[in-house]
Amino acid sequence: MSNFLDVRGEICPYPMMQAVAALKKLPAGESTLEVLTDHAPALSTIPWEAAKLGYEADIEEVGSPEWKITLRKSEAARDAKAVMARMQDQLAKLGVGQE
Amino acid sequence: MSSQALSRPLAGTPVGLRSLRKWAVVALALAALVVIAGISTDLAVFWAVGLTFGFILQRSRLCFASAFRDLFLMREGRNMKAILAGMGVASLGFAFIMQKAVPDPTAGALPTQAHVTPVGVYLVLGGLLFGVGMVVAGGCVSGTMYRIGEGYVASLASLGGILLGLELAAHSWNWWYAVSVGISPIIWLPSSVGYAGALAITAALLLAAYFGITWWESGRPPLFTPKKAAEQAALTFSDKVAQTWRGIFVKGWPMMSGALALGVLNIFAFTYQHPLGVTGELSSWADRGSSLFGWAAPPIAGASQLAGCVLTAGGSWLTGNFTLDAGVIGGAFVAAVLASEFKVRWPRQRRRYVQSAAGGLGMGYGAGLAVGCTIGAFFSAIPSLGLNGWIFGLSLLIGAFGGVKIIQRIP
Repeated sequence: MSNFLDVRGEICPYPMMQAVAALKKLPAGESTLEVLTDHAPALSTIPWEAAKLGYEADIEEVGSPEWKITLRKSEAARDAKAVMARMQDQLAKLGVGQE
Repeated sequence: MSSQALSRPLAGTPVGLRSLRKWAVVALALAALVVIAGISTDLAVFWAVGLTFGFILQRSRLCFASAFRDLFLMREGRNMKAILAGMGVASLGFAFIMQKAVPDPTAGALPTQAHVTPVGVYLVLGGLLFGVGMVVAGGCVSGTMYRIGEGYVASLASLGGILLGLELAAHSWNWWYAVSVGISPIIWLPSSVGYAGALAITAALLLAAYFGITWWESGRPPLFTPKKAAEQAALTFSDKVAQTWRGIFVKGWPMMSGALALGVLNIFAFTYQHPLGVTGELSSWADRGSSLFGWAAPPIAGASQLAGCVLTAGGSWLTGNFTLDAGVIGGAFVAAVLASEFKVRWPRQRRRYVQSAAGGLGMGYGAGLAVGCTIGAFFSAIPSLGLNGWIFGLSLLIGAFGGVKIIQRIP
């Protein structure tokens, strides 16, 4: 069971701000949040802010243009540099990356 | 909630139809170019400049509002650093252009088209208002225009606010001109230290800002580490062509490439006629619209002595600035469609429309007052080697800080 946040249609920078707020409000014991967005800049800002809170991100294209970002609590997220490198690879594969 | 709702087909439209749509959009933009060229070369050149402008903004997601905002919101300055670099490139080009127009800058003459305006209270107030407005609205004026091209409906509310703000500014301009604009000094660096000196000062300030931001970011790992050269040993020529095509038209550009390209585009625009600027023309749209309701602005005091995005009362549709502004929206639309990023996006919360319009109103009034927006009074002003670009930029920074405090309180 994962928590789900739909920020489609939102204006900049609310997708990121709402994702951060939702991460901070995750019930105890919950460690995953799925965010659905159609705001491309959020693909870099959400994983970046989530990494600061100890989450790593997986991005999946689910529409055109819509993406699902899965944020998981992870020890690895403490190594923000590695998280960012991984995220960049994902974005590059999706063709939305800014290498 | 479960993730069940997410598992649906990748796209509703068959691939063949989607690529047909892409080519149709490109063909339409080019057909418009041919038609416009039949009317006048100036219109066509600025239509092409506008298309390129919008294309660059959309591809690189270069956003002046987030450049200022994210320094506070995320303590992140990659966007602003790219813009500083773009202005550095433009400064060099602008200096050559201005040197041709005014060989001896110390003689008291100003290059007529350079975005040099008086430095006074009006500029600071305009910058503060603009800075708050762009953060509240989620995009500056050029950002609003390229987002319209991408299908963001709230940006239409922003544009409405911008137009109203510009018209209000046009109605109060003559008062501002009497109390501040007309009595404030013009400080054009080359007039006291020559072009080389002005370039050196500008370069030093840009570098100081660049490293100041690097310092501000430090303690946090870099968001985007430069990528190693791609392993592309055994690529055939057609692979490479395909890769280049994808890199330009499908994938996002690095912000730095976008900002440098915009700096070069600005040099081109200035070489042809005048530096980039969008709000002067928008104010003319606003005034033509409000004239229909019998609410036309009075003649703009001092308009002939000011360059850049001066408020315009009346005016005609068929100008290069019209095709430039329309081109920004069109170029962003073309870029978004090519990259499959166009989508009509309706915010579900009603307050977003109010918020966008209110932010737009602040930006419109601020841009009217300060003779330009983040483009005309900042991105084109610092390379014009006037002090006004720096003062406006600092005011934007403070305004953006206020804007961040406001949006953090709007859920």
